[in-house]
Amino acid sequence: MDRNDIKKWFKSPDKMGDKYSLWAIYFCTGCGIIEIPPVITARWDAERFGVIPVATPRQSNLFLITGYVSVKTLRAIIRTYEQMPEPKYTVGFGSCPINGGMYWDSYNTIKHLDKYIPIDGWIAGCMPRPEAIFVAVTHLWTLIDQGKAKAYVKYREKYGLYRKNQEMALGKLDWPPLYTTGGGND
Amino acid sequence: MISALKNDLESIFKDIQISAPEDDRLIINAQKDAVLTILKFFKDKGYDHLAMISCTDWIEEDEFELIYIVGSYSVYAPAAEDITSDKSGVSKEAAFNGGNILLKTRISRKDPRFITAIPVFENSEPYEREIHELFGVDFKGHPRLTPLFLEREYKIPPFRKDFDTRRYVKDFFDQIPFVENKEK
Amino acid sequence: MRELELYFGPQHLGMVGNFSITLKVEGDRIIEAAANPGYLHRGFEKLMELRTWIQNFPLVCRINVVEPDPMEMIYAMAVEKLANLEVPERAHYIRSIYLELSRVSSHLFGLWAYSNMLGFDTVAQWAMYHRDLVLDLFEELTGGRVYHIYIWPGGVRRDFPDGFKDRIVNTLHTIGGCVPDYDAAFFNNRLFYERSKGIGQISQEDAKRLGGVGQVLRATGVKHDIRKAESYAAYNSIDWDIHTREDGDAYSRIWVIRNEMIESVHMIFKLLDAMPEGDAYKKVQNPFKWKIPKGEAYVKIESSRGELGLYMVSNGGDKPYRVNFRTPSYTHGLTILEKMLRNASIADVGNIMISLYVVAPEIDR
Repeated sequence: MDRNDIKKWFKSPDKMGDKYSLWAIYFCTGCGIIEIPPVITARWDAERFGVIPVATPRQSNLFLITGYVSVKTLRAIIRTYEQMPEPKYTVGFGSCPINGGMYWDSYNTIKHLDKYIPIDGWIAGCMPRPEAIFVAVTHLWTLIDQGKAKAYVKYREKYGLYRKNQEMALGKLDWPPLYTTGGGND
Repeated sequence: MISALKNDLESIFKDIQISAPEDDRLIINAQKDAVLTILKFFKDKGYDHLAMISCTDWIEEDEFELIYIVGSYSVYAPAAEDITSDKSGVSKEAAFNGGNILLKTRISRKDPRFITAIPVFENSEPYEREIHELFGVDFKGHPRLTPLFLEREYKIPPFRKDFDTRRYVKDFFDQIPFVENKEK
Repeated sequence: MRELELYFGPQHLGMVGNFSITLKVEGDRIIEAAANPGYLHRGFEKLMELRTWIQNFPLVCRINVVEPDPMEMIYAMAVEKLANLEVPERAHYIRSIYLELSRVSSHLFGLWAYSNMLGFDTVAQWAMYHRDLVLDLFEELTGGRVYHIYIWPGGVRRDFPDGFKDRIVNTLHTIGGCVPDYDAAFFNNRLFYERSKGIGQISQEDAKRLGGVGQVLRATGVKHDIRKAESYAAYNSIDWDIHTREDGDAYSRIWVIRNEMIESVHMIFKLLDAMPEGDAYKKVQNPFKWKIPKGEAYVKIESSRGELGLYMVSNGGDKPYRVNFRTPSYTHGLTILEKMLRNASIADVGNIMISLYVVAPEIDR
């Protein structure tokens, strides 16, 4: 942990600021949300890692997608993700957003979340333990340090492809495209 | 007692089959016209709690089976004075303790229509809405048969037996490409 | 004044879980509310038709995240009823203790949500910490913090480990020792009274008419508890009480929850004392080839939210033919919530919803 490394703060204040103020949007997307209250309260205390839950997407830069994503939730997730200001990081929590998990044959859950929005990292397991969230956060720090947590840049670059996939799953989207440029846009 | 209730039912309603597999369950098979009257009969007898409405797809017999499960709030009360003071007039003898009644009826699968039970039990509204959405049964007189759970539309309502969810996943979700793979 | 349509949720702090409500408002008064569930619909009942009897256990506990244990229990009960399985006496006691522990943990979670929403952050922290202590017990017993899959057809998966009884007693003493603190900081606090009195009030007739169960019904004065009426597991063999309140508002509901929690702790102590020796499970057949005779069953238990029912049909195969759950949140979150929100103010939506104790995945399934 280089939180007290003053030289680093002078060298790259933006990265350090991102790393130690990961504010997670409070959005209960699936059953993984059950582990969030313990994590943000006294016993596990995510604030040690600079992670706090915030109420609106406009204040947040970390999106924990906790658990399976049904088609109806996907719409809300895309809206929320697009409202978050950059830089923003997404972490898929649990097995279900990775490949469907135990709902691999459900007609109403999307299987691979990264087809619709970009993901920086995954936490596997059902249910992952609170420690796993902290491990993920420290990994995310490393990625930010190395400049590899660039999923939001990818979203901008390939917005057309993402939007096409979103429209395949949800039908016509009733909000205008976030970006007008990007791969796949004709 | 269960036998008293059984005799009552048999004397009032024709064309119903009653069985009591356990002492606290009563299974009634009724024609579809009689369902609301029987529900009303039970409600007047003090079975004032509609636990659920369920639907089973018997595809081989080409029929849907609707199951109304009715219980009671008042007979649950453990103390004797609660039962006698109850306004619904249920005496301890009239009701079997804590039991449930399973009222079943069959409707055609080709033209699944039925009437709503909302006039008798108000909380049947979401159940009927759910059955409409997941099985495609139409309930006449229901105020809002709008989608409850599903975002996408399915050609066959998904809970019917001929809807193959695994094939649907293959045909639909697996066809959506990964963003990485499409680049190149 | 102009009528507006307002979307409340799914991403909203006053929302429990992934759920949304469409409100028709005039000023800040709600004229009409329409619950809009389905964000968590996975089609469990369909998926269960495609899996064998035993494979369904991991699925069934995921229907209710906050307390998966009654779900396992009810599924195991239905399988036992269809397959005519006997359960050893000791397993009944272990199941009851386990279910009461889960009730305590679930009520503490509810207390966290409610006190957090009312602005009692300290109480929320305590409740969540104490819930975690119960989860530690579960973890030792079953290996899982949240999902346990401990109850099994024919008993439970394994007996209590050595010294586990003492650890249950220790944990419950820790939690019980804090009840005076909870009372002083929250339950007897005037602010709690003023912030919840009269909110989301429902009369006894309406609660019955709209299918209310659990705390919602007990807070209106109906002594309705399936553990008493249609007793299962070992609830019949000990002495305990149903707690009720008269007013039917959020204040009464939370008080019922508090009293039930304390009653549960007492019940666990009594059950631990009365627990007989013997086997904790009966061997079932090879689960891969297990076929269950034709038939249908409706079983019900009292989860921490009210009456939980399961209607299951077997056609003699190795998989269920039809499974359908009657979950307590279903009527609470759809019919009763819509009724309570009528004429309420927008600021009270979260208060009403959390006091109703709705768990969204239970509605959607």
